[in-house]
Amino acid sequence: MSLVVGVDIGNSTTEACATLVGEHGEMTFLSGALGGTTGVKGTVENVSGVVEVVRRALAAAGRDPADLAAVLVNEATPVISGLAMETITETIITESTMIGHNPDTPGGAGLGVGTTVAFAGLPDCAAGSAVICVVGAGVDFEDAAAGINAATLRGVRVTGVVAHADDANLIANRLREPVPVVDEVTLVDRVPLGMRAAVEVAEQGRTIRTLSNVYGIATVFELDPEQTRLIAPVARALVGNRSAVVVRTPAGDIADRRIPAGTLTLIGEQTKRSVEMDAGAAEIMDTLRRVRPLVDAAGEPGTHVGGMLARVRDTMSELTEMPVDGVRIQDVLAVDTFVPQRITGGLAGEFALESAVALAAMVRTSKGPMELLAERLRAALGCEVLIGGVEADMALLGALTTPGTDRPLAILDLGGGSTDAAVSSGDGAHSVHLAGAGDLVTNLIDSELGLDNLELAEEIKKFPLAKAESFFHIRMEDGTARFFQEPLPADAFARVLVLTDAGMHPIPTRHGVEKIREVRRSAKHRVFVVNALRALEQVAPGGDIRHLGFVVVLGGSALDFEIPDMISEAVAAFGVVSGTGNVRGTEGPRNAVATGLVVSHAAARAVMERALHIPR
Amino acid sequence: MADTVAARDGAASRTLSLVEKGPALPGRRSDEVVIGVSPAFGAFFSRTIVDIPHADVLRELLAGVEEQGVQARVIRLRSSADLAVIAHTAAKLSGSGIGIGILSRGTTMIHQKDLLRLSNLELFPQAPLMDLETFRRIGRNAARYAKGESPEPVPSRNDYMARPRWQAKAALLHIKETGFVQPDAGPVELDVLIRLADAG
Amino acid sequence: MSTRSTARPQAPAVPRRSKRTEILENRPVNLDGFVEEWPEVGMVAMDSPYDPRPGVRVRDGVIVEMDGRERKDFDFLDQFIADHAIDAEAAGRAMALSAVEIAHLLVDPKVSRRDVLAVSCGLTPAKLLEVVKTMNVVEMMMALQKMRARRTPANQGHSTSARDNPVQVAADAAEAGLRGFRELETTLGVVRYAPLVAIALQVGAQAGKPGVLTQCALEEATELELGMRGITGYAETISVYGTEAVFCDGDDTPWSKAFLASAYASRGIKMRFTSGTGSEVQMGNAEGRSMLYLEIRCILVAKGAGVQGLQNGSISCIGVPGAVPSGIRAVLAENLVASTVDLECASGNDQSFSHSDMRRTARLMPQLLPGTDFICSGYSAVPNYDNMFAGSNLDPEDFDDWNAIQRDLQVDGALRHVPEAEILAARSRAARALQGVFAHLGLAPITDREIEAVIYSHGSKELPPRDVLEDLKSAQSVMDRGVTGLDIVKGLEAGGFPDMAEALLGVLRQRVSGDLLHTSAILTPELTTLSAVNDANDYAGPGSGYRPSGARWEEMKRLRHVVSARNPEQEVG
Repeated sequence: MSLVVGVDIGNSTTEACATLVGEHGEMTFLSGALGGTTGVKGTVENVSGVVEVVRRALAAAGRDPADLAAVLVNEATPVISGLAMETITETIITESTMIGHNPDTPGGAGLGVGTTVAFAGLPDCAAGSAVICVVGAGVDFEDAAAGINAATLRGVRVTGVVAHADDANLIANRLREPVPVVDEVTLVDRVPLGMRAAVEVAEQGRTIRTLSNVYGIATVFELDPEQTRLIAPVARALVGNRSAVVVRTPAGDIADRRIPAGTLTLIGEQTKRSVEMDAGAAEIMDTLRRVRPLVDAAGEPGTHVGGMLARVRDTMSELTEMPVDGVRIQDVLAVDTFVPQRITGGLAGEFALESAVALAAMVRTSKGPMELLAERLRAALGCEVLIGGVEADMALLGALTTPGTDRPLAILDLGGGSTDAAVSSGDGAHSVHLAGAGDLVTNLIDSELGLDNLELAEEIKKFPLAKAESFFHIRMEDGTARFFQEPLPADAFARVLVLTDAGMHPIPTRHGVEKIREVRRSAKHRVFVVNALRALEQVAPGGDIRHLGFVVVLGGSALDFEIPDMISEAVAAFGVVSGTGNVRGTEGPRNAVATGLVVSHAAARAVMERALHIPR
Repeated sequence: MADTVAARDGAASRTLSLVEKGPALPGRRSDEVVIGVSPAFGAFFSRTIVDIPHADVLRELLAGVEEQGVQARVIRLRSSADLAVIAHTAAKLSGSGIGIGILSRGTTMIHQKDLLRLSNLELFPQAPLMDLETFRRIGRNAARYAKGESPEPVPSRNDYMARPRWQAKAALLHIKETGFVQPDAGPVELDVLIRLADAG
Repeated sequence: MSTRSTARPQAPAVPRRSKRTEILENRPVNLDGFVEEWPEVGMVAMDSPYDPRPGVRVRDGVIVEMDGRERKDFDFLDQFIADHAIDAEAAGRAMALSAVEIAHLLVDPKVSRRDVLAVSCGLTPAKLLEVVKTMNVVEMMMALQKMRARRTPANQGHSTSARDNPVQVAADAAEAGLRGFRELETTLGVVRYAPLVAIALQVGAQAGKPGVLTQCALEEATELELGMRGITGYAETISVYGTEAVFCDGDDTPWSKAFLASAYASRGIKMRFTSGTGSEVQMGNAEGRSMLYLEIRCILVAKGAGVQGLQNGSISCIGVPGAVPSGIRAVLAENLVASTVDLECASGNDQSFSHSDMRRTARLMPQLLPGTDFICSGYSAVPNYDNMFAGSNLDPEDFDDWNAIQRDLQVDGALRHVPEAEILAARSRAARALQGVFAHLGLAPITDREIEAVIYSHGSKELPPRDVLEDLKSAQSVMDRGVTGLDIVKGLEAGGFPDMAEALLGVLRQRVSGDLLHTSAILTPELTTLSAVNDANDYAGPGSGYRPSGARWEEMKRLRHVVSARNPEQEVG
C-alpha cells in the first residue's frame, strides 16, 4: 500500500484527496481538504498553497507526512476572465417638459391645470385666473400655505403646487382647499413660468390616470393629432407614477436615445464578423455562434466597446504577465442588463433604467511552468511529485465516483470566472472553457440594484433574503416566518436582509424582497443557465445535448442554493439526467479533479501490475 | 462648519411654549411617533450648542413626521438626561414603538421599544454638526420606521475640528442639564405651541 | 400666555464695530472653545478647593489612610494605588517634606533623578498634585528635562488612511521612519481591515529605517491577538480612568487592566497605558475633583499595574483642558508627574487641538523644549483628513516648520529633513515590498499603477480605489490562516527584500530577549535597544545631559532651502 495525495490547483481554491493505493490499484480514500490557491494558477507561487492543503489532508487522515509516497498534480492551465459593462441607452428631457420622479409623499390628490407662476408672483395674479404655483427653495411651508390661501381668498384659482422641499403634505395640510402638490423637485428654478401645465397626484396606493395617458394629456392641453403624436413619449414615461407634472412648452420632448457603443469584431478560425454593441446581447451571442471557435475579439478603438476590451486585456496582461498584445480572447458572454441612471434634463433627479450590455471575456493562457512547479514542490514536500493528465479528464474520472453515474458522462464546472464543460469520448475528453460565471452574476446584481458594493452583491448572490418585520421575527423570501428569542440587531429593523452564514446583513436600498430576489434569480439565469446550455451544446456529440447521458454539476457555484436546480430544470427539457455531483459519495461537487488524479494513478498502477504478470 | 447655522439673519424667529398636560401615557395609535425631550429642553435651555433655537428644532422634527402622514406626540423626561433613556422611554410610550430622543444641546437618537436601551436605530452624536435640515430628516425617518418602511439612515457627519471648539462646552451643557434631573418624576405629556415672535 | 413685545419705532441698530474688532473676530483662535471654570463638577484644570488634602498613615507596612480617606472608605482606585503604586516604607519620610521642598528637588539640576525617585515613590496623589501646583510652566519644563526616563528624545507617528488603503499606510510608514519616527501607530475606519493595514504598517515601517516599532489601535482582544502573532510590535491604547464610575462604564477595573498588561508582558511585547485630563468631566463623572487630580490617580494606577509607561497629555479630551484657564499647564503637569514616578511618557500633542497655529505651537513647546520619551504620541504622518484618530495637533504640512524650529532653538524634536529623492525611494520600496508580501501570502494583489500613485501622493484622495471586497476577504484569511510576523518575514525574503526581512526578524527577536519591556525602550536603526537602562537620562544642569551635537546636529541644520555660504547663488541640502 502506498500513500498518495491528489492535488487540484484551481483558479481560486486548491483541493487535495489523500488515498491509500494498493498494489493492484485498489483504493482506500482517506480524506479531502480545501484551501485558497496562492498566486496565479500554474505558477510556482502555488507551492505554499499546495503544501498547506496537503498538510491538512494528511492531518485529517491522521497520517505522518513522512509516509507520503507521491503527490499527484494536475496539468494546470490558468483560465482568466475579465468583465466590463457599458450603458447603451440614454433618456433625455428637453425644455423641462415634464417632472416624472416619484416623491415618497406628494400632497393632496387629483388633477390641477393652470399657468405656472412663481410663488413670489402670486399676489400679482388676477382673480379668476387658474394657476399652478411653483414654490422655490427657501420658502417655508407655513409661508407657502399662507400665501396660497391668501390668493385663493382673492379669487385666484390655485389648482396645483410644485415645490422644491419635501413639504407637499405640510403645505397641503394647511390649505383651505386641498390641491395636488408635487414636491422634492430639486431644480424647481428651471420649471418654465407662464406656461400651461398640469399637476396630478393619485391617492396613496394608486397611480396617475390622466397624464400617463396620451389622450389625457391631449384633452388637458387641447392638442391636435400631430401635437398628440409628439407628446406620446411623455405619457409613456409617466406610466406607473403616483404623481407627475407636465408643462407644455413650444418644443418640449422626451427622447430615448441609443448611445453608439461601437462595433465588436469576433474573429473565428474560419471567419470574422462584426456586430454593433447596442444591438444587444442576443445579437452578439448569435454572431458568436456563427464564427465559433473564437480566436480573438477586438473592439473598435475610441468607442465604448474598444475601451471595454482594452480594460479586459489590461487586467489579464497584468495577472498573467503576458504582453497586452499577446492576450487572445477565446470566448465572450454578452448579457443584457440595465443600470439606474439619472435622466439628462430632468428637474427632480428622475431616474430611468437604461439598457446596458455586460461583457465577460475569457483568456486561456499558455501552459504554466509546471516542471518548475513540480520541482519546487518536490523540494518543499520531500516526496515524489507527478504531473497528472489533462484537467478535464481528471474531473471526469472524479465525477464518475458520484454514486449513480455512468458513461457517457458530461461535467459542468461552474466556477467564479468561467463555466467549463467536458465530456468523455472514445479517445479522452473533449472540453470547453466559457466566459462568464459567478463573478459576472455578482456584478449584475450590484449594478442592477444600484448597490455599488460588491461585497454585499456577493452575499445577495449566495444567500436567501428575508424582511425583518419586528425585532423578534423575520419573513423569509418563501413567505414563511422565523422567530427569535433575542431581539435582532438594531440595523436590521424594518429592512430587507440577506441571511449570510456570518449573520444577517441589511441591504440599504429601497428595493423590496421580491425585486431583489427577481434580480438575483434573473442574473443567475442569464449567466449560468445560458452558459450551461452553451457549454453542453459545444461538447455534446454532434452538438446535440440529447446525446449526453448524465450531467454532473461541479465547482464552487454548484454549492449555490438555487443554481443547480435552475440548470436541472433547463436540461431536463433535453431528457438528460442532471444533478449536483457527489464525488466519492462524500465530497459533494468539490474534489473531483483531485480524486480523478488518484483514480487515474491507481488505474495506471493496476495496468502496470497486470503487464508485469503477463506470462511470456 | 456648524457655525453657519447659528446666524439666521432675516429668518423669522419663533417662540416655543411647552405646557405640561399631565403624565405621559402609552399611545394606542400605530401611526404615531413620540418625541422625548430632555429635562431642560425648551425650558432652562432655549438653544442647541450651536445656538439653533429649540423652537425651530422641534418644528422641524414635527414637520418631518407630519410630511409622512404620521402623528407626533411630545413628552418630557424629567428623571434622566441620558439620551438613550430618553429615546427609549419615548419609544416605549409610542403606539408604533418608534421614539425620538433629544437633548438640549442637540444630540439626537431614534429608538425602538424592543431594542436594548444601549442600542438604537440611528444616533447623531455630534451636536455641533446638527442643522435644521438634519432634524427634518430625523423626523422623516422616524415616521418612516413607524410606517414599517426601511429609510436610508440620515448620513452622520464628522469634523475633526469640532473637538477644539465644542468639546468643553458640550461637557458643561451635559453637566448642567443633569442638574435639572428629578430622579422620581415620571414623564409628562406636553402641549407644543410654536409661534412667530412679534417682530418690530 | 401671550405677551406682545413692545414694537420699536427705529430699525434695530446693530452696534457699530471697529475694523480691528472685525479682524480679531475672524482670527482662527476665535473658532476655539473657551469655558469658565466650575470646580463643583470638576470643570477645573488643577486648582480646585474640592481636591483632597494630602496625607498618609501607614500601619504594619500597609497604608491605612490616604489623602484624608480611611482605608475602609477607599474606592477601588484608592485601594489599588495604596497597595501597589506607593512604597509604604518611603511614604512617611516623603510625605513629611513640604510640596515646595519637593518641587525644589524636581527643579534643582543638582539633585539627581535617582534622588527625586527615592522621594516620589512615597507620594500620594494629592501630594503630587500639591507639588506641581507650586510650579510654573518653566519650572515644570526644567523638571521634565531631568525627569524623562530616556536620555535621547524620540517621536511617535500616526499612519492611517481614510480608505484603510494598506498601500498608503505602508508608504507613509516608510516616509515617517525615514523622517525619524521610532514608533508608528495605526487604526481603522472599517475595523475588519485591521490585519491587512497592520501588516502594511509593519512592512512599511521597516522600509524607511530598520527597527521602527508599530502598533494597531483596536478593541483589546484583537489588539492583543495581533501583538501575540507578531503582526504588531507594541500596544498603547489600554485606557485607564480616574474615577470608579467611568472605569465601570467600560466594564473594567484596575485589576482587569493589570491582567491585560501581564498578557503582553508574558510574550515580551512592549506596552503602555493611556489616560488624560478631562475624560472624567467629559463623561459627567468627575466626582467634583480637578482634572489633574484625577489624572494623577490614573498615572499611579499605571505605576501600580507594573507597566513601563503611559501615554498621557489629555489625548482625545484635549478640548476640555484646552478650554479652561491653566489647562495646558495642567497637561504639561500630567506629563511631568508620569516622568516623576519613573514611567515612560508618550506626551500627547496627538489630537486636533486648536484652529490657531500659534496655540498649536504653544501647546507643543512644553514637551518639545525639554524633550520627552515621545514628544508626540501621534504626530499625524498622513494629512489630517486621513487621520483615523480624528486628527492630530501636527500633520505632514508642518514637517518643515518643525525642522526649522529644531534648528532655530537647537532642540532635538527627533525629526529631520529628508531630500525628496530619498523619500520617493523609500515609499516605492515600501509599496513594492508590500506587493511582494501580499503576493506571497495570497492576499488581494497590489497593482503597479497603485504603487506609482502612492509614491507621489499626499493622501488617500489621490489614490486609485482598491477592491474592498477582495481586501476584506484577504483580511479575514490572515486571521483564519493564523498568519504571523514570521510569515511576513518569509514574504519579504521571497519578494526580494532580504534586508527588510532581516530587520523585521530583528524586531520580532526582541520579544524573546524581553529588552523592550524596559522603561522607555526603543530600537535603534542598528536594532539595539535604547532604554532607561542603557541610555538613562543624566541631566544635571548646564553642560550635561542630552544635547544635539555631532552628526545629529549637522543633520538638524539641513532644511529644504538653505542658501550656500560658499556660493550664495546655490542652495545646500
